[in-house]
Amino acid sequence: MLLVNFPSIEGCRRLSEEFKAAFMKDFRSYIRYPAWLIGDLVSTPLWYFFFAVGVTLFAPTTQTSEYHGSSFFFFGFIFIVLFSTIIWGVGQSVRNEQMAGTLEQFFLAPANRLTLIMGRWARIFVTDLLVIGYTAVLFRLFGGGPLPLYEPALFAFALGLFEVGSVGFGVLFAGLTMKLKSYTTLSNLIFFGYMILTGALVPVNVIPLPYRYVCLVIPFTYFIDLMRHAALLTPTILPESLEYLTGIIVAVIMFLVGLITFNWIEQDARVRGSIATN
Amino acid sequence: MVSGIKGTFGVLAAIFWKGMKHYVRYPGSLLIYLMLPFLFTMMILGMGSFIGGGNAVFNFAARTGSSNVLVYEMLGGAVWMTSWVVVEDVGVALRDEQMKGTLEQNFLAPVSRFTLLVGISLTDIAITTVIFLVVVGTTLAFTMPGAYLGFFQAFLMLLIGLIPLFGLGFFFSGFVIKFKEPYIFTQMVNLIFGTLTGTYYPVTILPYWVQFLSGVLPQTYVISNMRQIILANQSLVNLYGSIFILLALAVVYPTFGYLVFKKLEKDASVTGELSKY
Repeated sequence: MLLVNFPSIEGCRRLSEEFKAAFMKDFRSYIRYPAWLIGDLVSTPLWYFFFAVGVTLFAPTTQTSEYHGSSFFFFGFIFIVLFSTIIWGVGQSVRNEQMAGTLEQFFLAPANRLTLIMGRWARIFVTDLLVIGYTAVLFRLFGGGPLPLYEPALFAFALGLFEVGSVGFGVLFAGLTMKLKSYTTLSNLIFFGYMILTGALVPVNVIPLPYRYVCLVIPFTYFIDLMRHAALLTPTILPESLEYLTGIIVAVIMFLVGLITFNWIEQDARVRGSIATN
Repeated sequence: MVSGIKGTFGVLAAIFWKGMKHYVRYPGSLLIYLMLPFLFTMMILGMGSFIGGGNAVFNFAARTGSSNVLVYEMLGGAVWMTSWVVVEDVGVALRDEQMKGTLEQNFLAPVSRFTLLVGISLTDIAITTVIFLVVVGTTLAFTMPGAYLGFFQAFLMLLIGLIPLFGLGFFFSGFVIKFKEPYIFTQMVNLIFGTLTGTYYPVTILPYWVQFLSGVLPQTYVISNMRQIILANQSLVNLYGSIFILLALAVVYPTFGYLVFKKLEKDASVTGELSKY
């Protein structure tokens, strides 16, 4: 069901229509509640400001040319925003339908599950870009320093890998919400684990050694490292070409594992009759 | 209407235990409250160490006057988490009842609204006490084991600071019933509190106009006084000026919060907003 109709032209056309419909449905829900937009525009820069001011206390009192803390930290903020999309956007999409009592209609529709979830992802991704851009303007206005992007094409490629892997992870998580009802605690723990252990906010090489091994087995560490390398020319963990190859393989594996797991959980939930249980 | 000391205490006890049962039934939320101050502090320390390098603590001390980074940050984090609990619980409690369809039963019960709100707040006194004991107690036990007197005074400081905070909770409670969307609202409020009250930095580094806003929030005084008590060996007596301000806020905020709550509740009952979600 997940990959239905995909190879044919008709299938592709149908997929694009489903995607557009799913995107518009989520977009309409979003703009129906202006508080969501206001919340995004206020909360996201505040999170950044909250941490940035705290961290500034540790910075040298006289700034040197080698000091790239603010831009490094700003990119960390971007990585966190993107991941939060996956956890609370893609991951929670099924749970939201379940809570609203519309999950059965969602699953009964003659449409591809993945396309419906991707529609939600796309809407949140667009909103994220808006919020990141808006925060970047505030960052510059308040004297936050330069925000370099030395290799834009490579950055876009690394971002693409991040998104492919993340969507797989998000879909897997969306499936888990059909099994686990106490979703919030798990999502919070994963989110904070991500912030601390993937090198989003600090370079992996400053993380103490026993924990660094954990960082190195988390796929997101490499996506983040590649994006930061492309943006700020920081050194990569692995040799550059090897790290890109690793990133591609890991992203594809995460995507496939996410799809297969989601499919399996959905089938299991159908058999047990637990799809609508909330 | 339930009246008299015995009747009122009975109602308060019932609401208190109802709230406690929720926490026992869903321990994950308390676990998150206990973990967040540690997680946030770890992140700040990690990023700070990276940015400041070998001089990170020296730079921190130059700006804050204290080289005990861990205790300084954990005190702020613990107080922030207590205000988080109050906003999430008192502010959203009635909205939750609205979502479950039980708000009307609560409001039809022969209990005054004030008793209802105070009952919800009592649960939070217990929860914030647990947070304080675990977060600050653990930190001090490992870093400053002899500071038990300061620990006790800091706890008293927290209790004084909770009274105006509950007043803010009453205000949010009415606001949320009227305008819905509690979770976006509480997230914004929690962040504004965290940013303005000097959770991880002294408010003196903020612009003057922001410091003015910080000055009307009770947590600003609680955090600052706790740091003075534990890190600078001050006593509650020496800090009478800010304690006096806190006591004044403890009168102003609950009064103001309850009046706003009553006004918004009355409006909502006229327009039929109470049953809408």
